[in-house]
Amino acid sequence: MQPTSSMNKEFLKKWQMGLQIFRPSIDNTSVSERKRAIKLSADVAMASLRKGTTCWSRALIQKTASEDNFLVRQMLSGIKEETLINKKLPKVMCHRKIVRRSKKILMRRKSRSAMEEVAAKAKKLVKRKTQGLRNAVPGGEFMSNNVLLIQETLDYIVSLQTQVNVMRSIVDAAAAGIER
Amino acid sequence: MMMMNGEATEAELFLNCADMSVLERQRAHLNHHHYPGFFSNSSTINGGDIDGFLASAGLDLPAVYGYTTVHGDARISVTPGNITTESGNFKKRKFGCVETETKVCNEKKKMMMMMMNREAAVEEEEEEEKSKVTEQSNKSIMMMKMKNKAKKEQNSCSNDSSKVTKDSQRTDYIHVRARRGQATDSHSIAERARREKISERMKFLQDLVPGCDKITGKAGMLDEIINYVQSLQRQVEFLSMKLATVSPRLDFNIDDIFAKEVVSAPMTNLPNTVMPPHMMVNSGYPHEMVDSGYVHFNPMQQVVASSDPLSCFNNLYSSLGV
Repeated sequence: MQPTSSMNKEFLKKWQMGLQIFRPSIDNTSVSERKRAIKLSADVAMASLRKGTTCWSRALIQKTASEDNFLVRQMLSGIKEETLINKKLPKVMCHRKIVRRSKKILMRRKSRSAMEEVAAKAKKLVKRKTQGLRNAVPGGEFMSNNVLLIQETLDYIVSLQTQVNVMRSIVDAAAAGIER
Repeated sequence: MMMMNGEATEAELFLNCADMSVLERQRAHLNHHHYPGFFSNSSTINGGDIDGFLASAGLDLPAVYGYTTVHGDARISVTPGNITTESGNFKKRKFGCVETETKVCNEKKKMMMMMMNREAAVEEEEEEEKSKVTEQSNKSIMMMKMKNKAKKEQNSCSNDSSKVTKDSQRTDYIHVRARRGQATDSHSIAERARREKISERMKFLQDLVPGCDKITGKAGMLDEIINYVQSLQRQVEFLSMKLATVSPRLDFNIDDIFAKEVVSAPMTNLPNTVMPPHMMVNSGYPHEMVDSGYVHFNPMQQVVASSDPLSCFNNLYSSLGV
């Protein structure tokens, strides 16, 4: 599935709306502040396209709310309540050293064949990668099973693609405008 | 799924289609198309429970079925093994109808479900489909019930080794038939269903992430996916930085927005991808070029812009000292 033009337009609209919030105070800002404004409003615009249906969008909104609460509130303006912004699933905390040690002991007890060892190593590798994916996708730590993780990744990738497309075309247009 | 009343969304557009009729049609189709002995149980249960549901579910279900209708209507005639084509984003469909409906019942990933239905059954034998379709048709009942209570978690769906009873208020069970030559205890069946779900989704990811067709195996694919996600995130960072440098007052004039509408074709960028020719066609160039005054995006320009995505980053890198 590729990003459709309607998604692009919606994203652009919401993003512009977010940027409007910054316009009044824009005159003496530095590049980095502007970049931050652009990026944060783009992120919230991208996440709000999903209207709270996906886990990553909620997590992304929460993250940007922690950086700029005012912006998020203005952009969402009551469509999603504060409760949506503040809700969090409990993260499972595990003490890694202890877990690793107990796993080693368990592995020692089991008698393994060659095939089992290979399979176990492959599983470990996959687990490591899924953990990496959880770190990459916003809110990944809250996705309890892998199926959900992959679904969210799919949606997240599509949304990122829309975001990148729109931003790039704006950049190109702006750059083309300046050259003239 | 939270659909607000005031907003015109895609799903609300679909609401105008006949919702119940889709389900009835699918059920009828399933009844005399497939193995009646096997399915009659579940289909009647489907009938009983779902009707009760639609009465009580109120807003939720119509929106869900709404999503099925556009694609579901065209799919009614599909039998497993037939290939039909459909307008829009989707390619081939070789899938049974019920699975469409049940997948869509998942409140979170509606569109993704469509994609999965499209490709998921390609390699499946009929026996697989048999067990799967019952699982998921009955799962749909469970899922719809869960939706009214717990709106978020879909972990309950993965527990499909239970049996269906006619009383909708107690716990539901699903009749599952194990495949030939495979373990029959409930745990392994559940695990196998989970694994199949995961591999379905991974197939969609293969289409989405460029360069993944040659890679087999979960670890490699996950690697590619992680790299792709991270590269997209980095691109967003750099694009926003570039935009910040380009426009000191954050004013992108409306003509730019017109240009954006012109450039509506997706330009997912990677250095080795060339714009496929059909993408230039569906951008609707001619009339909008007249409108957007000084900003002209013609096909050639677009190709150039997208085939050179990373060079601007190179300049940006050097200028930022990264």
